[in-house]
Amino acid sequence: MKNRLKVLRAERDWSQQDLADRLEVSRQSVNAIETGRYDPSLPLAFKIADVFETQIEDIFLRD
Amino acid sequence: MTTQTQRKGRPGLWVGLFFACAGVIIALRLSGAIKEPVGFILLALSMGLMIPFNKAMKNSSCTYSAAMDIYNRRMMVCSIGYVLGLGIAIVLWRNYELADWTVFALTLLPILPTFGMIWAMARYLKEESDEYLRHKSMMASLAALAFVLALGIFWGFLEMFGLVPHIWAWWVLPAWAIGLAGAQLWQKVRGA
Repeated sequence: MKNRLKVLRAERDWSQQDLADRLEVSRQSVNAIETGRYDPSLPLAFKIADVFETQIEDIFLRD
Repeated sequence: MTTQTQRKGRPGLWVGLFFACAGVIIALRLSGAIKEPVGFILLALSMGLMIPFNKAMKNSSCTYSAAMDIYNRRMMVCSIGYVLGLGIAIVLWRNYELADWTVFALTLLPILPTFGMIWAMARYLKEESDEYLRHKSMMASLAALAFVLALGIFWGFLEMFGLVPHIWAWWVLPAWAIGLAGAQLWQKVRGA
């Protein structure tokens, strides 16, 4: 699944570690999601949407 | 459980030191320089190197969650218990004429710590709050299980037709651990 995590992070000038701290996950997890190697669960996807104050569908896109 | 990522520590040093110690102890034992109980005691003591290893992991650049920390502590306790239990059981079994029920009780000495290791693995999967790390562990565990099944079936048929010697069934645990380490290494190489 494609996603806009890198763009959203860049807009806020957050590093992967900054986002990881906000999500309470490892930087490795953020990297895996961002590069499309891992699709997050629905609860984590909602948490990501909450952190960016947007909707899930604005972050994750269909292939 | 929160995830910690910091920038110091050299866990590889302690792992290397542990294997070096284990190698020296095994060499001393095989050469007859030390007796069986001493070998087991030294091996159990060398497992104390997991304490600085755990600290180094916390301070390393590797991802190391609180659940991993607890898992490693539990595995350390179980490993020391296993080596000591196995040593005591072997020494008593070889040197004394024991009743069957006593032998059964002795076999529990190495068995129970290995059950503890399995319990520690199950608890880790339950306690790891980082779903990606949990996912990676589960995939590595499945790969290790596939390795054990493949090895068991392969060896079992070779043994049935008399091509290879018999091996004890408890080898499934070390074989599983080798499979797990191999799978984790593969994940690291692939950047997962």
